[in-house]
Amino acid sequence: MPDATPKPWGETTIVGKPIPRVDGDERLSGKATYSLDLYLPDMLYGATVRCPYPHANVKKVDLSEALRMPGVRAALSDADKEANIPWYGAPGGRSASRLFDTHCRFAGEEVAVIVAETQQQAWDAVRQVRVEYEQLKFTTDFEAALKSDAPPLHDGGNLAANPVNVTRGDVAKGFAEADLVLEETYRTPTQIHTPLETFGSVAKWDGDELTVWDTTQGVFPVQNSLANLLKMPLSKVRVIGHYMGGGFGAKLSLSKYTVMAALLARKTSRPVKLFLTREESFLCVGNRPAHAMTLKAGVKKDGTLTALEFTGVGEVGGYPGGSNAGYQVQDLWKCPNIHVVERSAMTPMGPARAFRAPGFPQGNWALEQMMDALAEKLGMDPIDLRLKNYSPMCQVEQKPYTSAGIPQLLTEGAKAFGWAEARARAKGKGPLLRGVGVASGMWGSPGRPPSTAIVRYYLDGSVNLNMGAADLGTGTKTVMAQVVSEELGVPLERIGIEWADTGTTQYTSASGGSKTVASDSPAVRAAALDVKRQLLALAAEQLKVPAESLTLKDTEISGPGGSPKVTTRELRTLQTQQVLVGVGIRGPNPTDKSVRPFSTHFAEVEVNTRTGEVRVVRMLAMHDSGRVMNAATFANQCLGGMTQGIGYATTERRVVDSNTGTMVNSNWYDYKIPTSKDIPPDLDVMPIDLHDHECDTTSTKGLGEPATIPVATAVANAFYNATGVRIKEGPITPAKVLMALAQRKG
Amino acid sequence: MLRKFSYVRASSIKEAVTAAARPGARILAGGTDLLVCLRNGILAAETVVSINGIKELKGIGPKPGGGFRIGALTTLTEIAENKQLPENYTALAQAAAAAASPQLRNQGTIGGNLCQRPRCWYFRGDFQCLRKSGDQCFAMSGENQNHAIFGWDRCAMVHPSDTAAALVAFDAKVTIAGPKGVRTIPLASFFVLPKESVLKENVLAPGEFITEVSLDAPRPGTRSVYRKVRERGAFDFALAGAAVVLTKSADTVQSARIVLSGVAPAPWRAAAAEQALAGKRLGDESIAAAAAAAVKDANPFGDNEFKVALVRGILEEVLSGMA
Ligand SMILES: Cc1cc2nc3c(=O)[nH]c(=O)nc-3n(C[C@H](O)[C@H](O)[C@H](O)COP(=O)(O)OP(=O)(O)OC[C@H]3O[C@@H](n4cnc5c(N)ncnc54)[C@H](O)[C@@H]3O)c2cc1C
Ligand code: SF4
Repeated sequence: MPDATPKPWGETTIVGKPIPRVDGDERLSGKATYSLDLYLPDMLYGATVRCPYPHANVKKVDLSEALRMPGVRAALSDADKEANIPWYGAPGGRSASRLFDTHCRFAGEEVAVIVAETQQQAWDAVRQVRVEYEQLKFTTDFEAALKSDAPPLHDGGNLAANPVNVTRGDVAKGFAEADLVLEETYRTPTQIHTPLETFGSVAKWDGDELTVWDTTQGVFPVQNSLANLLKMPLSKVRVIGHYMGGGFGAKLSLSKYTVMAALLARKTSRPVKLFLTREESFLCVGNRPAHAMTLKAGVKKDGTLTALEFTGVGEVGGYPGGSNAGYQVQDLWKCPNIHVVERSAMTPMGPARAFRAPGFPQGNWALEQMMDALAEKLGMDPIDLRLKNYSPMCQVEQKPYTSAGIPQLLTEGAKAFGWAEARARAKGKGPLLRGVGVASGMWGSPGRPPSTAIVRYYLDGSVNLNMGAADLGTGTKTVMAQVVSEELGVPLERIGIEWADTGTTQYTSASGGSKTVASDSPAVRAAALDVKRQLLALAAEQLKVPAESLTLKDTEISGPGGSPKVTTRELRTLQTQQVLVGVGIRGPNPTDKSVRPFSTHFAEVEVNTRTGEVRVVRMLAMHDSGRVMNAATFANQCLGGMTQGIGYATTERRVVDSNTGTMVNSNWYDYKIPTSKDIPPDLDVMPIDLHDHECDTTSTKGLGEPATIPVATAVANAFYNATGVRIKEGPITPAKVLMALAQRKG
Repeated sequence: MLRKFSYVRASSIKEAVTAAARPGARILAGGTDLLVCLRNGILAAETVVSINGIKELKGIGPKPGGGFRIGALTTLTEIAENKQLPENYTALAQAAAAAASPQLRNQGTIGGNLCQRPRCWYFRGDFQCLRKSGDQCFAMSGENQNHAIFGWDRCAMVHPSDTAAALVAFDAKVTIAGPKGVRTIPLASFFVLPKESVLKENVLAPGEFITEVSLDAPRPGTRSVYRKVRERGAFDFALAGAAVVLTKSADTVQSARIVLSGVAPAPWRAAAAEQALAGKRLGDESIAAAAAAAVKDANPFGDNEFKVALVRGILEEVLSGMA
């Protein structure tokens, strides 16, 4: 059996180094074949008919004219038996809808799909589909949607999930003990994922075997759901997700387009490609739900938190699902008395999906602005208030953390950022004001099983790493190859990688929840160690010395001082077998401790009080994510997280016309993700490594999500520091800034 | 996705006029706006007439008798980076540089920039609004934060062009070729407000197109600035902008031209602000008076109220910088 608990690494040779991506050249030069780039012989192209109304019944779908259009080969709608596939889970294991349900609950919902010889023909044909709709009542206001008189989207109303109701201690008692109680309502906008590669799949049948190329974060969940819905054995469904251009959580599971492509490929006996346009991808493949959050906080004069009461509503769109934002309220700061009540509301909008730390940037926006407000009212430095309330224990799981670097993040960050100096500096005179802000954050779950990896060692000393994990552009392949190289001493150039293919690689969960490195690198390490153990055993047998006395360095195995010596090529068993196969399985997490990553971000902004422009001048990202596996990909995650957070703070939001219930900014110039001009060159990243050898065998915790959780709040706090005005509803746009400043002037 | 159309690549102005006079013809310059409108079904075209083969429409050069001509096909990048235009025309270069993104500026032309269709998100979306011959303006009770605070009537879109504001501030003229020959008119009278028509943004008749934009020789002592405020640092239209052209002697403003972008269905001249400055020393008092005068007649109607403060703020900033 592979060794599940190897000794922690000490000094490493290649792990941790800023190694360039092993696939950087393919990705940058355009040579990499993304699913979107795949063209198979005889392939057909799909396009989707979408409901233009937020809430409507489909009365009739007339495909006859579309089917007569040039190049059109087939179509599917709710009338087709094979399309009777349940969709969108509902409480109690029921489903809330079908693939082409005739009750449409958002503008952009799928009504039918068409395939044609060319993409243009398919799009043209979609325009010839005649659909009769009966429009139904709706409200786009998610807070109003929970009122009893709101038009219901589903039988039973618009409540999307059982409300969350968490109590710890007694908040009434906590507020009674407090010297200061503040209560505020904060709101966050709906953010859209907008990965560079849009959404879609290519499907192809060989007899009764289905192969799908999907742009996905997890080939195995997609395989599972597909097999389940199409009533096929797992062994006959192969999902490949090699190069993919980002997902941010929107590509964690099976999407309708994949099923539609598979059904149409079967119907036409031709490969089918179905990719969404950019505009479609704003409507129907997820978003970060908007939230309205009321937070009441009680604190003693010395800064000790006595009670936190959080009431939140999240907007999940047209179908059931939870969108909870209150985790950090329960766990980030030590607080004996907590009450968290959360509800999720359905509105006739595109359904939410996981988005880089689902719920966390929202909850952070409330909690960490509140901490800032409390600090000011108490006359305390916001850093000191946070240090005062540091919790070395996970209050949700009631266990100590394996490591929790919040104090280091705050104090070392403050030093590196020049926090005290920056706060003491004048805000500026005239119309340009400067301010600094800080916010901490944590992510709510660790890396974990399952993950199985295989490492194959060939006679020529080259190695094949076989793992199921996706590489979303984050550098997974590079980091995992470094792990193999670290253990076997093989240079990266001689490591081949097979990944994200259910037909050839081993099971792992989807790449999400900041857990890929922490879930999969221990499995990869175990597989490499398994190979190493086998090599040393063979050498020991051949050299007739104990295996423990031997060391492996690339292809050389030698005893103490270099003798005896044998190369792996000379190992007789390997000569016969040609390959050694090492298997690694991710071991369990500690049961008596909690694993959580933490971050603290510092921001400086400049506000033009005449024009309302807010410019982020610089940021520092402090992270306790365990071991840094690759300094370059680590920094990359943080820079990306800050970029996405700056967008969330200043420009990004879905704009919905409430009269028609449709999104008006479903394109890349009206939906404003930041450009290089909006991101300051001065973005610093500082990891704190506490040598946490308890969390897992590579000492890693998560990074991807902590990298974006506190960004917007740090910016908001800096804005407040500059202006003395708090904008509680994001994003902080010139329009909001000018209106808020005008109010202050009175 | 594009509907079928015939394509003419004209090699002379005459040929282009003939082709453009056909019903349903559209002029194609850089295509950065036209192709998107066609793809998204905002415009229909029977014939697309490319003017890119007409050499005389290209480039910037001096005019006989002083001043400059800018051919309709001159790209925004050429204008932004041009060394021929004297410094007095800084506002024009700044406006061109503030438009869109580097790729779009390399491809987009000045003629196309002046004739681009509105960016109102209803107009660009699947909404059959007044400007698309529908029967309502969705912005009136809808999402109107980007909409006009001046000069609106039935339709409240804002003219999207940055360069238009700068050019109007310089009293630029446009030369128009058409079936009836060639005419030259002030750019200020080129644009059409909704009270005249909600279906077109300019006076061009079928078959007509811009061949060049001309500028007079600058008056000595003229300085100019274009300041644009947008939510994002690039690839974004103006929330509001101002082209300010001042001629000063010593401290005193002899003449001022202030034209606003992003706040009206056409470049919007802030005449009251100009008057508040004329003959005055440029200082806190006159600047405050001018900024206030600029928005005296503002008529916000919803979420665009912030633009009133924004215009004031922009003018305060620009004028203070020129004092
Ligand atoms: C994402 C995006 C962001 C943008 N941001 C900005 C911005 O911030 N500020 C800004 O000012 N502009 C902006 N633009 C507009 C851009 O500058 C224009 O698209 C470009 O200048 C148009 O030039 P073109 O040559 O490509 O025009 P085309 O697309 O070829 O034509 C545009 C329109 O003008 C007509 N036309 C073209 N040339 C002539 C002519 N000589 N005479 C008569 N009619 C003509 C065409 O028929 C068409 O209707 C943006 C555009 C995009 C796509
Ligand atoms: S503002 Fe003008 S372009 Fe926009 S919806 Fe109204 S009529 Fe149409």
